[in-house]
Amino acid sequence: MSDVDRSIAEAPLPTAGTLRRRKGLFYQATRFVAFNFRMMKMVTRAHH
Amino acid sequence: MARVVILGAGISGHTAALHLQRHLKKGAEIIVVSPNSNWNWIPSNIWVGVGKMTKDQVTFPLAPIYKRKHIGFRQAKAVAIHPEGSPDNPQGFVDIDYTDPTRSGQEEQLTYDYLIVATGPKLNFAATPGLGPDGNSWSVCTAGHAEQSAAALETIIEALKAGERKTLVIGVGHGTCTCEGAAFEYTFNVEHELRERGVRELADVVYLSNEYDLGDLGVGGMTFAQNGFETSSKMWTESLFRERGVRAILRAHVEKVDPGVIHYEELDGSKHTLDFDFAMLLPPFRGVDMKAYANNGDDITDDLFAPNGFLRVDADYAVKPFEEWTPEDWPKTYQCPRYANVFGVGIAFAPPHAISEPRKSPNGTIISPAPPRTGMPSGVMGRTVALSIAERIRHGDQAPLRTASMAAMGAACIASAGTGLRKGSAAAITMYPIIPDRKRFPGSGRDLTQTSGEIGLSGHWTKLLLHYLFIYKAKARFGWFMIPE
Ligand SMILES: Cc1cc2nc3c(=O)[nH]c(=O)nc-3n(C[C@H](O)[C@H](O)[C@H](O)COP(=O)(O)OP(=O)(O)OC[C@H]3O[C@@H](n4cnc5c(N)ncnc54)[C@H](O)[C@@H]3O)c2cc1C
Repeated sequence: MSDVDRSIAEAPLPTAGTLRRRKGLFYQATRFVAFNFRMMKMVTRAHH
Repeated sequence: MARVVILGAGISGHTAALHLQRHLKKGAEIIVVSPNSNWNWIPSNIWVGVGKMTKDQVTFPLAPIYKRKHIGFRQAKAVAIHPEGSPDNPQGFVDIDYTDPTRSGQEEQLTYDYLIVATGPKLNFAATPGLGPDGNSWSVCTAGHAEQSAAALETIIEALKAGERKTLVIGVGHGTCTCEGAAFEYTFNVEHELRERGVRELADVVYLSNEYDLGDLGVGGMTFAQNGFETSSKMWTESLFRERGVRAILRAHVEKVDPGVIHYEELDGSKHTLDFDFAMLLPPFRGVDMKAYANNGDDITDDLFAPNGFLRVDADYAVKPFEEWTPEDWPKTYQCPRYANVFGVGIAFAPPHAISEPRKSPNGTIISPAPPRTGMPSGVMGRTVALSIAERIRHGDQAPLRTASMAAMGAACIASAGTGLRKGSAAAITMYPIIPDRKRFPGSGRDLTQTSGEIGLSGHWTKLLLHYLFIYKAKARFGWFMIPE
């Protein structure tokens, strides 16, 4: 097993709850708004 | 009337052309030179490469847009810049060769008052024998390449359905490649597609990269603050690889691609081979083939362009060790030091050095990513230079130039990990600044409150939204300028 394979094998696996949240429509809708807000803040900064 | 010539109609050149036209209206003549008749939203080529979009959904013809906007368009490629003009006329000019089928074989000399070089990368497949669609691997760098990849992938899926085992290798085809983010995206889109089609079990998916660690992405990796801890993009990416069962080979320089066999060297100097049934390996980038001449005819290509073929701008190109790299090394105005009316933006400008730590194998092979210049900074540079030029045309040569250093700019990057309005997913990343500043932000060099990453369905929605928004903007439809770069 290479170092890279070992490192991947030891990486944390998302829990069932995390996987559910990543697909959950309501939670993802709030993340969509939050991320786009963060992105817009960054973009407006880049334009000055 | 002043004339601005823009070489290249990609993200940076097209953005510059539209902003110049908006600010100068009929007060200047704007001419765009590009060998392709179409504009391409390159980020969505990933989806063309898995058959989820067609070429027509990610490209559109440029000529009607330029006609509507009163911007001149030459479907041609620039082959030489004469920044000092000729012995009898000091005005700079560019030699162009037409690629427009109706003017094939014709050449023209285009004079300019201001020149923007936005020619993007030359896809340097030739750096690795056997690399690329003319050799033994596929690419998604152009919409046409992506269509070929989708067809090849379909053949593999049919074989998997018939019960055959297959190895799919996706990554970068040289030790000095950039754009690892695109390779990452294509890996997970292919993996997603294999699962959707019910053939994942028989497929071995391998990511092959020149990165030192997963999550480096050519920006030296990132640190995020999550749940009260500082976590790294390395751990975060490794977690995704584990979850999706994707193998990784890192710190690799592909030496050659034979039919079905990749030969590569690792950072420790060892040499290996990897058998494959399908390989999509991105090429290294260099500047496009352009020459430069002084007014006496002397070849000044090496003065204007760095050895990698990119245009020298106001960066600090002094060679120094990694520990001495500073944010001030990076260009601010993108003005060519020798010729004040020449600018280089997007991938076409020569970066002062990499962002990731440079590394060499004991055999002297460079195995570390070149610095990415993604869509958002490329667009911002195009707009910034357009505004600088517009102000100089209006107020004279003393008007101050605008600045947009990558060391003072953040970037948002959405790495798709699979499509579908309900089943899609993407890693949504923001970082500030792009170039780490370890004095201002001790440790990772980036602001932890503005550097973030999360995986989920909403990232896919954002990526899809950006696809439609940027195509709308590039078509210069109503209110286009309100959509930021
Ligand atoms: C597969 C892939 C996926 C990507 N995904 C993302 C992503 O998700 N997000 C992101 O931010 N970035 C992404 N990028 C990077 C992004 O595409 C680039 O940052 C961006 O295209 C750079 O813009 P540019 O204007 O410098 O070059 P380009 O967009 O490549 O444009 C160069 C232009 O110059 C023209 N040209 C070439 N030679 C000549 C010549 N001799 N004379 C005149 N014109 C010439 C070309 O025809 C083209 O019009 C991706 C890149 C790839 C390859």
